[in-house]
Amino acid sequence: MVKLNVNGTDIEVEADADAPLLWVLREHLGLTGTKFGCGVGSCGACTVHIDGEAMFSCQTYASDVEDAEITTIEGLPDNGDHPLQKAWIAEQAPQCGYCQSGQIMRAAALLSQNPDPSREEIVEEMSTNLCRCGTYPRIIRAVERAAKEV
Amino acid sequence: MTPSTLTSRRSFLKMASATTFALSATGGVSILAGSATAEIIESVNVGAWVTLHADDHITIRFASAEMGQGVSTALPMILAEELDADWSQVRSEQVDKGPLDTFGNPKINGIMYTAGSTSVEGYFERLRHAGAQVRRVLIHSVAAHWNVPVEEITTEPSTLVHGGSNRNMSFGEAATTLTLITDVPEVTTEELKSPSNWRIIGTDVDRLDIPAKTRGETEYSIDVRVPGMLYAAQLNAPVEGETPIEISDDDAKAVAGVVQIIPLTNSVNVLAETFEAALLARDLLDVTWSEDSAFRPANSETELATLKAAVEDRGRDAIVWETKGDATSSLSDADAKTIASVYTTEQLYHAQMEPLNATASVDEDGKGAEVWIGTQSQTVSIGVAAGVLQTTPDKIRIHAMQMGGAFGRRTVFARELLRDALLLSKISQRPVKLMWTREDDVKNGWFRPASAHQLSASIDQDGNVTGYHHRLASPSVLQFALPQIWEKSNGRDLLVMEGAQAQDYDCPNLTAEHIITERQSKIAAWRGIGWGPICYARECFIDELAAAAGSDPAGFRRKLLAKSSRGSAVLEKVLEMSDYGNAPEGRAHGLSFAGYKGTRGAGVAEISLDPDTSEVRFHKFWAAVDPGIAIHPRNVQAQVEGGVIFGLSGLHRERIAIVDGQVDQNNFYDYEVLRANQVPEIFVEIIQSGAAPSGVGEIGVPMTGGAVANALFALTGSRPHNMPFNAHL
Repeated sequence: MVKLNVNGTDIEVEADADAPLLWVLREHLGLTGTKFGCGVGSCGACTVHIDGEAMFSCQTYASDVEDAEITTIEGLPDNGDHPLQKAWIAEQAPQCGYCQSGQIMRAAALLSQNPDPSREEIVEEMSTNLCRCGTYPRIIRAVERAAKEV
Repeated sequence: MTPSTLTSRRSFLKMASATTFALSATGGVSILAGSATAEIIESVNVGAWVTLHADDHITIRFASAEMGQGVSTALPMILAEELDADWSQVRSEQVDKGPLDTFGNPKINGIMYTAGSTSVEGYFERLRHAGAQVRRVLIHSVAAHWNVPVEEITTEPSTLVHGGSNRNMSFGEAATTLTLITDVPEVTTEELKSPSNWRIIGTDVDRLDIPAKTRGETEYSIDVRVPGMLYAAQLNAPVEGETPIEISDDDAKAVAGVVQIIPLTNSVNVLAETFEAALLARDLLDVTWSEDSAFRPANSETELATLKAAVEDRGRDAIVWETKGDATSSLSDADAKTIASVYTTEQLYHAQMEPLNATASVDEDGKGAEVWIGTQSQTVSIGVAAGVLQTTPDKIRIHAMQMGGAFGRRTVFARELLRDALLLSKISQRPVKLMWTREDDVKNGWFRPASAHQLSASIDQDGNVTGYHHRLASPSVLQFALPQIWEKSNGRDLLVMEGAQAQDYDCPNLTAEHIITERQSKIAAWRGIGWGPICYARECFIDELAAAAGSDPAGFRRKLLAKSSRGSAVLEKVLEMSDYGNAPEGRAHGLSFAGYKGTRGAGVAEISLDPDTSEVRFHKFWAAVDPGIAIHPRNVQAQVEGGVIFGLSGLHRERIAIVDGQVDQNNFYDYEVLRANQVPEIFVEIIQSGAAPSGVGEIGVPMTGGAVANALFALTGSRPHNMPFNAHL
């Protein structure tokens, strides 16, 4: 049994303490917006916020975050209407879309810590996350756009 | 138009409330008996492609599969144009299953199979006619209702108008309240809208699938959760074809949550109540494999050497892909200057972001199943499932899910993943979600094959190419991936050789031929298919020819493209966009002309070298592309950008090496795809020549190899003859 706080709600999950948070979120809680890409912290598809920091949920044991606030794409503030989501639509960023939850979560953590990032800061931060469709130019533009609006 | 499509478009279905509305299992249009006449009709299925709703929204179906390329928007745009729909009311829906004479892609043997950038090209005319036919039904129906001549009815977006009496009616109201007159004349091609009257095609509408993709709401097959399902982790044979001989699974079985360990022909599978338990238990398996595979000696370095030797051995038999004039005599002409060069490419992995997976729930009697799979071919997947269960296709209830990338990997992968998910479900008598980890996905990939290219050409004193010979050695993708089609292909492998005909270049004496070698691994089409390696080799060689002719890369191509107005147009455009040849200090430009099937494209790369690592740095990339007609220009631009990045990634550090029959790479840390801080600024210009629309999903890839290699030559005086360029640094 693991006790978690996910998207502002306290939840008890029938999962092993050493289960990766990724599988707890996706398969136990049905929060499938967070994606599995590599399992080794190389692609960022599984990015969630742990106490506001962008973290790889595939590299996080559920039991290590029992006292933390976990936020997934489903719990992003103003979900659906978040400035980043609006910017993502304005720039028509996604193609297959699979990596985009992780991209948006990483961008959201960046903007909350650095509301006015330079282009170089955005590019460096977003380089943690892979996109195989090649939507990087639009992702960068979308983060810049959202930063102006926040 | 085939007679059967006429039949299906003439079959119209009127149904009662939305709860009874469903596309029939065959995807078609049988009338549901017992539709309660007293109920309010909420939606009407007019033909196979369109449902009109009383609240005025419109569902338009598309039969390609969405993998990110934007067909879920572009294809409905084509139909909506002729229907004269109000685009803001359109929603789209992928067809999972249905009659192939309606839904099959004429460009892919009439089946539902999304590959080769053929969706818009294949469905364009059919969807225009389908939209126009629905519009005609509505016009005839409302004319009868208003008792006015059909000719007096016009349409505004989603609205039927009778100007003379100042009456109008929305499509939704007409469809759900009028008696529909379905026996209307077939719309002829001449009656379709003139492009000058288009109001949807050619506009930059928002993609319909994007909002859900920003909220994590889009459901991929990996997201499927079926009540009672088990998770399967698969330990695959280390080398292709080997089988488990001895399995020690006591430790694995002891893991809490593990339900069953199931050996299949080439794998041992752990079924558990959670995926983490299945993975944990898989690590505890101790399996002895047969170690008898013919692929044990397979080795990429040896293969590359073999391919190179094959193209240089003029005695080797080859399948002629294209021949014009007499290249052999031209090349032996003593008065001409003759140049020859060899290029090679190594194996590449698709690296779609969603690792492959499939979910299956086999019926109790074992003779049917519900399946969830992200597939490039609904038809192939259904066929595979029916074959595995030895049943008929109608017993397979398929959910073709949004794919988390595909790039050629998901064309026939059902043959392995869906097969195994079905077998595991049948044996365990539970629904099973079989998921590969990234390592599984890498180690068991079907790769773009390695290739070698020997190019020879003769040039006369005026700098004309008098003879051109492209000898390509590689295993046959078609033979391995699509054996049924291969059997009928007379040895012609379009998945390797298409593009070698150098169609736009004015070469009167040309031969392109394929030396088919034994495959050393599983192989598949990869975004850009043969055009990627072929255009890389050819465009490098063209620069070599230009130098030999005392010309420059731009001028030499201008001359070669003189008879191709579309080819010339993209070349001139990209030269202008890039201010070709005037790169800033420390950087250089490289040029490439590279089409993809009917689409023409040209690219210029601006690069420099990292002073510390000697790696290429990509600064800018300009692409000019002519897809004939751009249905959805903004998405064309996005596809070209994505294709360019995919191509640059593939020529940079991506590389699959087979050692002793096993894939050497593991995950993204040693199979390195391009990241945001490595991509250049990309500039795309679309030229609309008005030719029949052709694909855009792959055109960005083939232009990259030559452009970057030629830029490297301009910068360093040395041209890379093996792609990828930086994997060995």
